[in-house]
Formats: sequence, C-alpha cells, structure tokens
Amino acid sequence: MSVARRTARRNQLLGFASFAVMLLAWIAVTGSGLWTPLVNPTFLPSPVTVANTFMRLADKGYQGHTLLHHFLISLMRFGIAFAICVAVGVPVGLLMGMSSGARAVLDPPIEITRPIPKLALLPLFIIWFGIGELSKTIVIITALFPLISISAMQAVRAVSVRKIHAAQSLGASPAMIFRRVLLPASLPGIFTGMRVSVGIGVTMLVGAEMVATSDGVAWMALTAADFVQTDIVLVGVLIMAVLGYTLDRIFRMLETRVVHWSGRD
Amino acid sequence: MTTASPVAPVILDSAERRATARLIVDRVSKRFGTGPDAIDALLPIDLAVNGGDFVCIVGPSGCGKSTLLNIVAGFETPTAGIVTLDARAITGPGRERGVVFQQGALFNWMTVEENVAFGPRALGKPAGAALDTARRYIELVGLTGFTRRYPYELSGGMQQRVGIARALANEPEVLLMDEPFAALDQQTRELLQEEIRGIWRRTGKTILWITHSIEEALFLATHVVVMTGRPGRIKAAFETAFSRDPDPLVTTSAAFAEAKRQVVSLLRQESLQAQRQEANA
Repeated sequence: MSVARRTARRNQLLGFASFAVMLLAWIAVTGSGLWTPLVNPTFLPSPVTVANTFMRLADKGYQGHTLLHHFLISLMRFGIAFAICVAVGVPVGLLMGMSSGARAVLDPPIEITRPIPKLALLPLFIIWFGIGELSKTIVIITALFPLISISAMQAVRAVSVRKIHAAQSLGASPAMIFRRVLLPASLPGIFTGMRVSVGIGVTMLVGAEMVATSDGVAWMALTAADFVQTDIVLVGVLIMAVLGYTLDRIFRMLETRVVHWSGRD
Repeated sequence: MTTASPVAPVILDSAERRATARLIVDRVSKRFGTGPDAIDALLPIDLAVNGGDFVCIVGPSGCGKSTLLNIVAGFETPTAGIVTLDARAITGPGRERGVVFQQGALFNWMTVEENVAFGPRALGKPAGAALDTARRYIELVGLTGFTRRYPYELSGGMQQRVGIARALANEPEVLLMDEPFAALDQQTRELLQEEIRGIWRRTGKTILWITHSIEEALFLATHVVVMTGRPGRIKAAFETAFSRDPDPLVTTSAAFAEAKRQVVSLLRQESLQAQRQEANA
C-alpha cells in the first residue's frame, strides 16, 4: 500500500473515531437508560430517545403530515431555489466574467445586496409575495444567487489567457472558444460555488420555514422547540445535517467524475 | 566545419533578405502605458525571416522578446510598425502562425488527441478526419500510445510534445515558440531540442523561437538574434551552422564553445547593463 493510501485510510479511521467519540459523549451525559442522566432529559434527550422519536414520527407523522412529507417539502423548497440559482446564476456569472460591460451593470446590485442578511428580508418578501411557497423560495434564492453567480464569474476570469490565446491561434471562433475552452475551464470553479451553496441553502431552510408554514423539517424542529419537545427538535436537526452532508458528498463525487481536471494544471 | 567562424554576423533586415523574406517585422515598437509612467518594452525592431529559417531570439529577462513574439502571434498590437507574413499584415491571431507556449496552455479537459484535433476541428474538418490528422502529428512527436490520456497525466516533456503536435496539426506557415522548454529538466530539454531539430528538418517549417539559453539558440537556430535589456532592441544577429550538423553532440565541440563565447560576451554586457539600470531605477 502506498504512503498516500495509508494516510487516507488512517484519516478515514480518525474520522470515524471522532464521530464515535461524539456519540459516546452524548450517550454518557444522557445515560441512555444505562445510568442516571447527568443532564435533565428535557434539555438533552438520549440518542435512544431520539431514535425512538424518529421511529414514532416516521410511523405517525407530525402535526398532520408524515415525516416523509416534511422532508420532501423541505427538499423541494431547497431544490427549486437551487435549480433556479444554477440555471440563471451560472449564465449571469459567465456573462459578467467575459464582458466588462455586463460586469459594470450587474456587479453593483449583487455586491450591494450581498452583505444583507437575507433572513431580514423575509418579512418583506412575505408582504410582497404572500405567505405561500414563493416567498420561501425567493429568500433561499437571494442567499444562493450571489454565491453561484460570483463563483462562476471568478472561474471564467481565472481562465489562463494562454489557453485562450492557444485556441485563438488554432483558428477557433469565439463561439468555439466559449464552448470548448472557457466553459470547461470554468467548470471546477462553478462546481465549488454550487457545493458551498448547498450547505448554505440547507441552513436557509430554517429561516424560510420560520414563519407562515405548517410543514417542512425545519418548521417541525422550530415548532417542537416551542413545546420543549427537544427529542423532536433533534430529529429535525439531524435530518437536516444528514441532508446537507449527503448533498455535499454527492457534489464531491460528481466533481471528481465530471470535472476530473479540477486543480490539475 | 566548412566556414572559418561558426558564427557569422548577419544583417537580418538587409534589402536582399527583405526581398525574399516571408515574415517581416518592420519598425515594430511597443510602449506600455501612457504619459510619464509609460514603459518602452521594444524600440523599433526590424527582422526579415525567410521560409525555412530557424530564428532564435536570445536576451536577458524583461528584454521584450516575449512581447515581440506576442505581437507576431497577434496577441498584442504594436504601438508602431507592422508585421507582415507573405505580404499580408498581421492584425490578430491566425492559424497560419502556430504558437507553442512555455506551459499551461493545453486543454486539460480534453485527451491528448482531442487537444491536437482542436485546430483541425476549428478549421472545419469533420471529427473523424480531424482525429486522423491529430494521430499523425501525435506519432510525429512520439506520443503514440498516449492519445487517450489527459495532459495532466503526462510529464512536462510529454506535455510540450502535445503542444508542439497541436501547433503543427494546423499546418501553420510559421511556428512561434515562447521558451517552450524553459520549464523542463536538462535531460528532457536536450532530448526535445534534438527532436525539434529533426521535425524542423523534415517539415522545413519556418520557426521563430524565444529563449534565454544561448546554448539552445546555437544548437537549434540558423539565425541567432541577440536583444538588449529593456527597452529591447536588436544588439546583434548571427548566422550559425550548428543546426545543420548531424552530430547531436556538436554542443561539446570546440567550435561550439568558441561560438558560445562570442555570443555570451555580448549578452553579458547587456545583462550587466540591465542590472545597473534596475539598481539606478
């Protein structure tokens, strides 16, 4: 086995160990039925309780909806917002990267609105777009759009001028240079932007489902917190954690498959 | 050696050379910026390159030799003067001038054969024919067996071979090479130098080659142009015969050493002066 592979294997084991230690600490302080809990179970239920609650919710649902419904509606809210951001943000970013005119027009609105905490805009969106899905989707979009468009812009601007020169002196038309040089050369950067915005998008679900909702995983956790049902809160939190982690892994996997040339110049 | 001196001074823009030349650099100068901060990169340069010439341009770092090549390639426009190829003015990049870069110019998302087929595709050849052309040139640079690999899977020397094959695949009139072997180790560089001589002899291409290595210039070129430090202009030009010598070890001969001595002493003065200018600036 090579040194690199041995290191990778060791780090994988360390990762598992780190996870196991966290779980053991959780079991230890909550007792988990083995001994008297060190902290009040109302504040921190044991993993066993949380697992049981998960089974119960999966079976009976929560507040009139199945757990699967809560999960899927959250995934859909995130998915639609993310898809719109990629479909519009990537072309806008590419345009900004290639044309200084487009950059002059589009950069100020994006840069000025970027530091605004998007959740602060949610009440305004509800007034403008109502209490339906639209305002929730839009609040997630406002958070992801700048990330995705700016990463696409930076990716295309970072393409080495040598590659463009090479294509030009080989007789390539501007359309061919875009399609076969600029676009593939920018893909790794675009992917990074998408991966970062997956994490942020899942976080934004909490905000989007904070008001004017009666379903969704984050809504479930927030509502349960009002009734100090900490076990349900933890089920919701863990579902979001697993969702974020899984999406991140999927994107990493896609990255190594689709943009195999990433970082290898 | 038949000639008394292995390097003979030559005037590269003489009237008779101009009369037959294919590539003419005519009073080309380049200034970056405007006003008092403007920097002269090139003072008026004249060069007349005949078909089949192998012209090496040597000079200290920052002397504008790459700027000159970029102007000939059409990546930059001269502040004054004009470059013509076969009596047509150069206004931008074009397929009749193939360019090989130092490194980092290959398309990493394409296989070796797709990289080399890029030019023929750009010129409108159907995919199959373009790949056939690509494979021919991949064979010419000795990379058969690596056609389906990606550039990042190859060594630096092999990547430069891909770059050369890619430039050749469009059958350009002139090859422009910007320190193509500068980033390679000594052994690889020497091997590739020998091969580029072979390719040049077989194809009869006209080559304009930028280097900071005098040895490389003397080994490869039919004409060596020595440039001054910034602002760049032509200090001297020599005709040499080593590139036609079949002996790959000609660089170890006494005649080669003597030729190198001549050129080095010229270039040394220039480097010293460039350093002094920098110290005073």
